[in-house]
Amino acid sequence: MNTIVSLLSIMFFPVGISLILSGMLYEWADRKLVARFQNRIGPRWFQPLADTIKLLSKEEIKPHSVNNLLFYGLPIVALSGALTAALYTPILGFAPTYSFQGDLIVALYLLSLLTMCTGLAGWNGASRFSLIGATRSLTQLFAYEAPFLLALLGPAMAAGTWTIKDISVYAENHWMFIAQPVGFVVALIGLMGKLELPPFDAPEAETEIVAGALTEYSGRGLALFHIGKSVELVVAISLVTAFYLGGVGNPLIFLLKTLIILLFMAMLQSMLTRLRIDQTVGMWWRFGALLALLQILVIILLKGWLA
Amino acid sequence: MTTETLLQRATEILAPFSKGNNNPETNRLDVEIEASDLPSATAALMDNQWGYLSAITPTDLGKEVNKLELLYHFCEGAAITSLRIYLPREDQPDVPTISDQIPVASFFERELGEMLGVHVVGTPDSSRLFLPDDWPDGVYPLREEFSMEQAAPVEPRETLPEMGRVGNKFTVPIGPQHPALKEPGHFEFAVDGEIITGARMRLGYVHRGIEKATEKRNWIQNLYLLERICGICSHTHTSAYAMGAEKLAQVEVPPRALAIREIVAGLERIHSHLLWLGVAAHEAGFDTLFMYSWRDRETVMDLLETLTGNRVNYSITVLGGVKYDFTAEHSRAIHKAMNYLEERIRYYLHIVTTDASFLQRTRGIGTMTLEEAKYFGALGPTARASGLERDVRIDSPYGAYHRFPVSLITDERGDLEARFEVRMKELLVSCFTIRTIVDNLPPGELAVRFPRKVPAGETVSRVEAPRGEAFYYIKSGGGESPVRLKIRTPSLCNWTSALNKAVGHQLADVPMLIAGMDPCFSCNDRMITVRRKNDSHTLTWSQMREYGIKKYASIREPK
Repeated sequence: MNTIVSLLSIMFFPVGISLILSGMLYEWADRKLVARFQNRIGPRWFQPLADTIKLLSKEEIKPHSVNNLLFYGLPIVALSGALTAALYTPILGFAPTYSFQGDLIVALYLLSLLTMCTGLAGWNGASRFSLIGATRSLTQLFAYEAPFLLALLGPAMAAGTWTIKDISVYAENHWMFIAQPVGFVVALIGLMGKLELPPFDAPEAETEIVAGALTEYSGRGLALFHIGKSVELVVAISLVTAFYLGGVGNPLIFLLKTLIILLFMAMLQSMLTRLRIDQTVGMWWRFGALLALLQILVIILLKGWLA
Repeated sequence: MTTETLLQRATEILAPFSKGNNNPETNRLDVEIEASDLPSATAALMDNQWGYLSAITPTDLGKEVNKLELLYHFCEGAAITSLRIYLPREDQPDVPTISDQIPVASFFERELGEMLGVHVVGTPDSSRLFLPDDWPDGVYPLREEFSMEQAAPVEPRETLPEMGRVGNKFTVPIGPQHPALKEPGHFEFAVDGEIITGARMRLGYVHRGIEKATEKRNWIQNLYLLERICGICSHTHTSAYAMGAEKLAQVEVPPRALAIREIVAGLERIHSHLLWLGVAAHEAGFDTLFMYSWRDRETVMDLLETLTGNRVNYSITVLGGVKYDFTAEHSRAIHKAMNYLEERIRYYLHIVTTDASFLQRTRGIGTMTLEEAKYFGALGPTARASGLERDVRIDSPYGAYHRFPVSLITDERGDLEARFEVRMKELLVSCFTIRTIVDNLPPGELAVRFPRKVPAGETVSRVEAPRGEAFYYIKSGGGESPVRLKIRTPSLCNWTSALNKAVGHQLADVPMLIAGMDPCFSCNDRMITVRRKNDSHTLTWSQMREYGIKKYASIREPK
């Protein structure tokens, strides 16, 4: 009986639907802000939802030479990865649904699942654009993943725990953004890399490779990837806010904090020119990774000294 | 050097090959040579650093004369030397190639082969450049006996073979439909990982048969036809055509009309360069600059609409003058717009020269040295950004450019950054010149009468379009329409440099490199009307006219 209830709650998963909807609203806020920065009017608030409904209702075209299982399976895996990561994250200021020692690492790997699925989908796509897009997606993954991980390890080490819940409780009394400014900047920019937002949008640079890895996707598959991405936007922003901007606390204030991060991201998106893939990799390993490592070193030394 | 000494020099250089010289116009020298002497005559000109190959005009002189005529136009300053070659009017007469000496000639020679059926011996690429793939073999549109019935589509042949995947290398096709291209063209880039190892291109997707069509229309109708070659530099084409026709008809255009033409040319340059700035920024992934520059471009578009009534095909030029006068109110509007635009252009100049993230994508990318620019035959801002001082408005001032000269902008660096800088500075010059002309607009007539029939003769008129030199060769037989009209637009000459410079760069730089020369596809593609099998949309002229009248009547009906 218990199993059936659990299964039903997973199948209907009201939190999941609200998560998807909030992801769309965040996506809208991002698009609207960028549009206003670029002196455009921007989309209406329901535009991401309308796009998704339209995509879901459209025909899904499958190229001849692809592997069926991968082609239909990857979007689902990508979305479920992002949704599962949400279970361990304080979404919208609410305490995480599940929590265990070391869930930080699990959540981060679940977040990477989307990029890996995109890469696989591009490799499976049998189109030259998607192949190049996939190569770029995965190259970029190797570039930002380590610095991003290190930047989130900083607060974890300061709090002395690997549980997201405990770190955010610790962060409520310690504003990491002031204590670890370098880690915050690296995490913020890593977030943009993770979401392939400009200037890190080389994997889907439309002027070179059309839509990158997802060029061959249409209809349902594309919609699922898009939903996965907007869920990831919410999860990752929540994670960075909880770690660096004073924990969870009041949901309303938490929401405001996430919006401030979104505002910063939108500003960076409209100010910068797209980086070539070699420039992205160079930047992350030359500066991002080193800065994050330096941060960790300082934390270790300080902790030893204080103890 | 003056034009006379330049022509004198050319006469001396070409003396060993000459079968007869004449001077059709004061700035032109015509040298008749044997086809077999062509490579050595070209080499003599090149060795003496005399000019660059501007265009090749192929003409069928008809059954009576029973000859084909090829004109190789070389330009230096205001002087033009044409090598005239007569070929027998049989199928596939031979002419030696010169593209081993002048790479850009390769495009012209491909055109010779497909349009006139001349066999160019030794040309590196004889595949089709403009004609569609299903065009039948052995049918040459520029031959006198050509008719549309001969051009019934055949089974398409593969003109661009797949370069195929070899190891890590494979081919990335860009176009004819691709988000990077705002107009249709087809490029194949062989890439090794992200590095380009080879590049090819194919044009002709927007061919409309304009050159051929001019022979069937009278002098006045042609003005409106030629205006529609390009949506960006429509005024360039009307100016070049009107200048040539007026020279042939010996019509003296009033100074006020010339000044107004120069104002519109300046405004056209502003709207073209701002459009380019937006497109180039978008290719680099800097959409904010794209949105900003296109917003400001609306200022000049609105101004053009105020002055001429149209945003794109201004239609202000008529043969013998201009159509509309500028009043004091117009002058005020121009001043206001120029003040605003100058401020904005200074801001963009600041952005493209200082924004660190943008400079990462432009500084040192696609660097073309002065020697390379000369060798590839680059034109316009692309050439000037490599330090090549080539600008028709200065080398060979036409129209009102004697009275209201512009200053030459060059840059030594030759990379993409230099091209941005040169174009933005040119806009500042344009703003300044437009203000000067508006304040000193000469009084007088707007237009003089243009005869219906133009005396026989031939002329060359060159105009500096926003993208470089536009070349017009016009030949009149004394009738109501031209006998031959040859147009060579600047983009065609710049392709060689863009494709050659792409090799060795990253795929991510390609859109920027292509955008860097500001390509314009529709002005490359002018020549052929295509009629396909089972095409229910083929309309006759009268059906088309009727359709247009009905359509516009329905638009104007009150709802």
